[in-house]
Amino acid sequence: MYDLLIFLALIAVGYSVGTLLEKRHYHSIHKREKAFFYLPAVTIKSVDYPEEKIRSAELVYGSVVISIDCFKKILAGLRNIFGGTIKSYESLIDRARREALLRMKEMAGDATVIVNVRIETSTIARKANKKGVGCLEAIAYGTALTLEK
Amino acid sequence: MRYTPRHPKSNVNVTPTSHIREFFVLAGGLLSLIVVIYLVLGLTVDLIVPHISIDLENKMGVHFFQSMGGKDVDSQRGYYVQSLIDDLRERCAKLPYRFKIHVRKASTVNAMALPGGHVIVFTGLLDKMSSENELAFVLAHEMGHYAHRDHLRAGGRAVVLMTFSALLFGADSSVSKILSHTLNITELSFSRKQETMADEFALETINCAYGHVGGATDFFEKIPKEQDTGKIGHYFASHPETRSRISHLNNIIRSRGFNLAKRKPLPKAIWNFIP
Repeated sequence: MYDLLIFLALIAVGYSVGTLLEKRHYHSIHKREKAFFYLPAVTIKSVDYPEEKIRSAELVYGSVVISIDCFKKILAGLRNIFGGTIKSYESLIDRARREALLRMKEMAGDATVIVNVRIETSTIARKANKKGVGCLEAIAYGTALTLEK
Repeated sequence: MRYTPRHPKSNVNVTPTSHIREFFVLAGGLLSLIVVIYLVLGLTVDLIVPHISIDLENKMGVHFFQSMGGKDVDSQRGYYVQSLIDDLRERCAKLPYRFKIHVRKASTVNAMALPGGHVIVFTGLLDKMSSENELAFVLAHEMGHYAHRDHLRAGGRAVVLMTFSALLFGADSSVSKILSHTLNITELSFSRKQETMADEFALETINCAYGHVGGATDFFEKIPKEQDTGKIGHYFASHPETRSRISHLNNIIRSRGFNLAKRKPLPKAIWNFIP
């Protein structure tokens, strides 16, 4: 009974704190995305531009590690039983990717465009200890080009 | 190609949904599934139990026993009780179990038959004993539950349910853990008929072991006096009313012509030894 109470308390804390943190994170993501509107990040390999006018081309990347809260984990565990889309993880991955892209853009500074952008994800601390709460790493990388007008 | 910065109006990658609602729907679904399985198991336990081999029972018994936790104490009296049950088994009740006595420190006047031949005896019970015959009757009573496999019937639902959850979600999953914490497998309750059968078995056994049944009803006769103090654990509260048990035992003793003779005292050196 005592264990069950602790378990329920963990879920409640996980839900309330997790939701609050997610809300704040999204708020920050929206704000920074608007601030970086001037810098396109695209998947095309290069730009059609005379080579001598490209001032610099450098690798830029941004990575982030986000942990799931235990409410989301339990919810996903329940989903594992019945099947279907694991909606509780969707926002997690969405946040990680967008945050990684933003960090990449921050690294690019005043570049004109970032080309050949790729996003990759991996899990951390999942396999080593099955009991641990999993976390997710997203890394975005690309080539930042600074063009002369 | 012109680049026009634009914020997407909606996020296609995140489904706008209420996680709390999803949680309750899924948890509710799982719970009702468990309830249905539990009810069905309750109906099928009696069909399954006779088919559980002793070998399988021994394997499951380890898990049951480990989930109890705790430590064996009082090895002096433990060895004595062990030798007593081994002697009973060898001479009078040839059961296909290898009984292992575990003495646990608790004031509960209680003994329990766990799957796999693990018999838990609480120090509270040992303290109440006044003769070897009395103790032998309690042990033989537990052996009676093994002989009729009542311990599996009583814990059968929990056994099968835990096996199911281990198979479905993995033995280490959070679901199995919640289950094993919620299911109190030590709360084995036997039906009145099972208790009576075990009593009859015990009577036969100690008649065989000692040549008489003196001391068989001693333990029950102590209970009414002490029940008011509330010191008697749920073991004998869960057993059929002691008065009718005593009279039932006396009826059998009369009808089968069992003798009543002098009780064998407990070995003083061991019993009064305080560790």
